[in-house]
Amino acid sequence: MSPTAVLYVAQALHGLAYGMLLFLIASGLTLIFGMMGILNIAHASFAMLAAYFCFTALKLTGNFWAALLIAPIFAGIVGVLTERFLLRPVHKHGHLAELLITVGIMTLILEIVKLFWGTESLVVKIPESLNGLLHIAGLTYPVYRIFVIGLSIVILGFMALILFKTRLGKIVQAAVSDADMVSALGINTPLVFMLVFGIGIWLAGVAGAVAGPLLTVFPGMADQLGMDAFVVVVVGGFGSLIGAFIVALFLGELNAYGIQFIPRLAPVLMFAFMALVLAFKPTGLFGERE
Amino acid sequence: MNILETKGLYHDFSGLEVLFDVNLQVKEGERLALIGPNGAGKTTLFNTITGMYHPTQGQVFFKGKDITRSNPYQLARIGMGRSFQITTTFARLTAFQNIRQAVLSKNGIRFQMFRKLDKMQDITKETDEILKRINLDGQRNIPAGMLSYGKHRSLEISMALATDPELIMLDEPTAGMSRDETHTAVELIRRLTEGKTVVIIEHDMDVVFSIADRITVLHYGQILATGSPAEIRENQEVKDAYLGDLEY
Amino acid sequence: MSTKLSNWILWGVVIILLAVFPYLVSFYYLNMFIAFAIFSLYAVTLNILLGYMGVLSFGHAMFFGTGAYAVALVLRHIEGFPLLPTILVGGLAGGLLALVLCPLLVRVSGTAFAMLTLAFSMLIFVAALKFREITGGEDGIGITSIPPLNIPGLVSIDMTDKINFYYFAIIVVAICLYLLWFYTKTPFGSLIVGIRDNALRMDYLGFNLPQTKAINLVVSGTFAGIAGAVHGLLMKLVSTVGVLDIGTSFKPLMMAYIGGVGSFFGPIIGSAILHILEDVVIRFTDRIGLVNGTIFILVVLFAPQGLIGLFNTAKAKWFQKETAS
Repeated sequence: MSPTAVLYVAQALHGLAYGMLLFLIASGLTLIFGMMGILNIAHASFAMLAAYFCFTALKLTGNFWAALLIAPIFAGIVGVLTERFLLRPVHKHGHLAELLITVGIMTLILEIVKLFWGTESLVVKIPESLNGLLHIAGLTYPVYRIFVIGLSIVILGFMALILFKTRLGKIVQAAVSDADMVSALGINTPLVFMLVFGIGIWLAGVAGAVAGPLLTVFPGMADQLGMDAFVVVVVGGFGSLIGAFIVALFLGELNAYGIQFIPRLAPVLMFAFMALVLAFKPTGLFGERE
Repeated sequence: MNILETKGLYHDFSGLEVLFDVNLQVKEGERLALIGPNGAGKTTLFNTITGMYHPTQGQVFFKGKDITRSNPYQLARIGMGRSFQITTTFARLTAFQNIRQAVLSKNGIRFQMFRKLDKMQDITKETDEILKRINLDGQRNIPAGMLSYGKHRSLEISMALATDPELIMLDEPTAGMSRDETHTAVELIRRLTEGKTVVIIEHDMDVVFSIADRITVLHYGQILATGSPAEIRENQEVKDAYLGDLEY
Repeated sequence: MSTKLSNWILWGVVIILLAVFPYLVSFYYLNMFIAFAIFSLYAVTLNILLGYMGVLSFGHAMFFGTGAYAVALVLRHIEGFPLLPTILVGGLAGGLLALVLCPLLVRVSGTAFAMLTLAFSMLIFVAALKFREITGGEDGIGITSIPPLNIPGLVSIDMTDKINFYYFAIIVVAICLYLLWFYTKTPFGSLIVGIRDNALRMDYLGFNLPQTKAINLVVSGTFAGIAGAVHGLLMKLVSTVGVLDIGTSFKPLMMAYIGGVGSFFGPIIGSAILHILEDVVIRFTDRIGLVNGTIFILVVLFAPQGLIGLFNTAKAKWFQKETAS
């Protein structure tokens, strides 16, 4: 491959990796909004929490794979507890109250993280097995990033399988579309909510844990990820996984190429794009729910 | 003169045809009832006439003027009032405050930022007069959402009337009312719409036959028949489609 | 005693207290009070949208920050620009921004409105960061000295004197708050509440909704800009973090909510509480964020109507007991 082609392909892969991470985070966010009407401002904060959990788990066990497994699960548990004890009681006070409490949760997670881990950037070392570079067709690319892409695809494939091929998945899809109806059919919606919230957080947790080695683990991690995930959900459409997927990849690529070629305009472009979409289709490109 | 007229009105929702070549005429000063089975398109017809939707085809004329592309607020300003099937009042505001909003609009007070509203005695007086006329002066300071159902529906009807329109469109004003509440409502409507034109959607046939000068029957988005109450009562097609063989 | 007389006495006491305040406390608390006043105004402008019109402005910092930057830029680039016009420029900047965004903002409500305002404020934040030549980027723009208050032909009051600046800031904020309070009492104010309660009915009563919403947005933006302007003068430094960041958008929201969005004074009370809290907590720990966040969550969980709501519920219960006995 010619050097320019190599550059473009490398950027494309960067974009793909970041886009996949974004989708992991955004998918939970959009499902939660679609089903429960809650815009979880704190969603990316849970991803960050998982990254910190991963750091500590790695220090304790010395095993990256174990840490990668445990961290998102812990984050998911925190997510489930949050839903049960902080979100559910506030549901009756309306959407504004729900939104505001997620703002409070975001602040709380940020402070807790600073309290227990300090404000310095923490380094999560990539294990030997994933370290190093891959050489294909003249392109030299870090193995870890390929791993990120691969893992994301596997997890998402698994999720898609559950969502579209199992009874539980069908219930979830129905609940995203019309939770009241599902409840009227006798299904324990609070349980489904808790489950979906937990899994949504778990997905974000995986993204956070996996992103740790790439972005370094620091209290400001959630800012960029969170903002981007929001743009993905808002532009893609609330409740739409396809919308989230397409926009996440698009945004990943926009970021990658933008930062490379038009560093000043890139972030501005993204928000301008979001404002534009919202102006003409307030429910997002593929969204239906208000 | 026809105060309201539709010509070749069609409307569809993403391909689903709801109104089909509707040619409605409403004479000035008459009380026209619009009846028909559920789903016939009566409310949709109201919505296209009052500007909530713009019909996919056809035209609407009000006092001779083409209002097909007009918006609800523009129509309110030139003399059209409308009540809704689902009560559409300011639930958290008192009955007084509800009517007052209408009075403000009627008096063209839309951008007044230099006087205290509560100090505007002429507005207060006018609002209280209306409240008395609709028998809600006893509930003046009660939030609309806390009124009894019948009183709340009365408020709803009054919101359509308080801007003093020439044409009043009432969408199922007596929906959900008890026998007594319905009587009160009918009396209220008769009294308050003296000399005005009324188009009323109704399912309660007693109300229809006691109020209406003329009846138009809508069926599957098309006008099935139109005529005096006596004519409609005898119309076989209407009976087959809607009224049945019950004696009215 | 009639309510009118007791009202006059109450306000009289308040004015006297405000007048003697600078002689009772240190400069540290003087500045803190000015900050409380500024954020009271800022939070009220947010509530004009939230409590009164029913829309959540999730990016309100863009108006606040634009006002602050306008002031900083004007003072940096125009020699001898007088004080009062400076404040007005801040308001104008906020109002203009609102006007520019109106065509989009008046067509949406609910979540879309919140997201749009968030998007725009993030846009402006990032733009301010990136275009360093104009805004100074992260370092911001410093204000070397506050121009004196010149009333032509009468007097020139030096604003580098902290006490003078205190009086100036308080009077500006007080006037703005009064204007906004009066605004909510006018017929137009009732239209805004009508839109919140039932926009459909407002439409059918003959009110032009986009126009009405636009005016309210511009009013909110203008006064938020003035708050930002005074803030800039107080801080003597205007940079992205502190006037344009998302934290600055969340602060007035928390204040309005804690105080109670259902009343005009709620945001003012919320501002007081948060500022006092910050001062108290700082003595024990610098984990102010933790305390703020926890308190906020507690308020949302147990007092969603805010403090004023709690007060009203207590009052109602007390009256119930009165009539029952």
